Amino acid sequence: MLIDTHAHVMYSQPGADDSAQRTLDAAYVEAADALGIDLLVISCPMVPKPTPPEVFRHANDLVLDAMAKWPGKIWLTTYVNPGWPREALAEIDRTMAATDDMVALKLLRDYSCADPVCFPVVERCIELGLVIIIHQAHHTKLPPDYPYPKVDAADVVELARRYPEAKIIADHIGGGGDWEWTIKTLAEAPNVFQEISGSQFDEGCLEMMLEYLGVERMVFACDCSISSSVGKFQALPCSDEEKEKIGSANFLQLCGRL
Amino acid sequence: MIIDSNAYLGHWAFRRLRYNTGEGLLELMDRVGIDRACVSSASAIMYRNSHAGNEELLEEIDEHRERLIPFAVLNPTYPGWERDLRWCKETLGAKGLRLYPPYHDYGLDEDCCHEMVDAAAELGMVIEIPITVHDLRQSHWLVEVLPVAANDIAVLVADHPAAKFVILQGNGFAGSELVTQLEQLPANYWFEMSLQDSYYRKELQQMKASVGAERLVFGTGICFRYPESAFVRMEGLQATAGEKEMIFSGNMLGLLGDE
Repeated sequence: MLIDTHAHVMYSQPGADDSAQRTLDAAYVEAADALGIDLLVISCPMVPKPTPPEVFRHANDLVLDAMAKWPGKIWLTTYVNPGWPREALAEIDRTMAATDDMVALKLLRDYSCADPVCFPVVERCIELGLVIIIHQAHHTKLPPDYPYPKVDAADVVELARRYPEAKIIADHIGGGGDWEWTIKTLAEAPNVFQEISGSQFDEGCLEMMLEYLGVERMVFACDCSISSSVGKFQALPCSDEEKEKIGSANFLQLCGRL
Repeated sequence: MIIDSNAYLGHWAFRRLRYNTGEGLLELMDRVGIDRACVSSASAIMYRNSHAGNEELLEEIDEHRERLIPFAVLNPTYPGWERDLRWCKETLGAKGLRLYPPYHDYGLDEDCCHEMVDAAAELGMVIEIPITVHDLRQSHWLVEVLPVAANDIAVLVADHPAAKFVILQGNGFAGSELVTQLEQLPANYWFEMSLQDSYYRKELQQMKASVGAERLVFGTGICFRYPESAFVRMEGLQATAGEKEMIFSGNMLGLLGDE
């Protein structure tokens, strides 16, 4: 079994013509089918920032719509802005009630995951057994006008040390940043998993992940870079059993579904 | 046959490369079924005297010439490039020349660049221009190098209709003059596909529709990158067997004069 643990549907404004976005969503599912990806764990966090509650609610509804359109193909990663704590917690509850297949929470670009504003939603995830999926990358050259909080593996590790019982996945090792820095930073945080997605497919990256993190802490994902990520997965110097762990079993275990 | 138009050996200043010898590259090629590869020195990109990388390349490929096709790397702002180019043609047996304007601090519109392109074309060498070497977001803190602008390449190819160019490691070409002015520009440039997706956003599919299979060439970026991803892109490309054969080898064989 192969699970893309980091997939997206495209955001569209309520009531707007969304044909382009829905066409892309269909293309993603079609590509997944063609490449043998059995399950997509989808969020919709690429929305205007800072994200107000009505936007993250609508974004999650778009994923729920996709789940209805492709039954059995999609699990939900709920996205919230923790800066709206009451609404964020309510949205976690709402989406959990809406589907049995809400398995994770996404944090992306509203705050650093180590910011105390995130702690209430993290604590709720721990309570509910949800995986926390954190957008991060160590970009060595952020532009001075970069509009989002910096979030890299050091922030992820800070959160992980504060909450050792949290189940955390760090996003996209191939997301363009210094992956050697990221892997070495994550090495000492045993409750952090690293997924392999991203547009970059630098030779040697997976081998370093295996050395520092081990098979048990690696997770397959694409983050819309499907060809790059599937190619990387094919390149993994692992046994079939180890690939099964990275491809699905590690994530299923995190979700309590193995 | 599969020809990789975009391969490297040697060292890269900012991270360790594996499979970066002639033997290593062959091992990687055998893993995925690449028959031949156009290979240049990665070290030459950052060496002040790029030609030293060409000399190292000779040591690595000399016993593997049936599979490793040497490409030179030279800096037209550095003294002696004319002599080095001749050495690359005559001694290294280089079939092509790779240009790195941002790394070597010149523009594609500068006289020195025009002179070197003319000289290489005169020698029958293919000119390859990598848009990037690595993702900008992983740049070393002391060094920031921007990508080559596709529209600058459009001007260069128009100025040198007798030369043959391959554009490596780029994507997002749809709005560039290389695509929008395709009919007006000379048909003397090809696109390597290693960063163009064929699933989901389908850029490779769109490039085939825009420029035709006859203007695309297969490449991987080894040993900087995993070769498997390029093969996944080719699997996803909707094309006839004949078109795929052109991309995998036919077009590059024609460019190399091995048709």
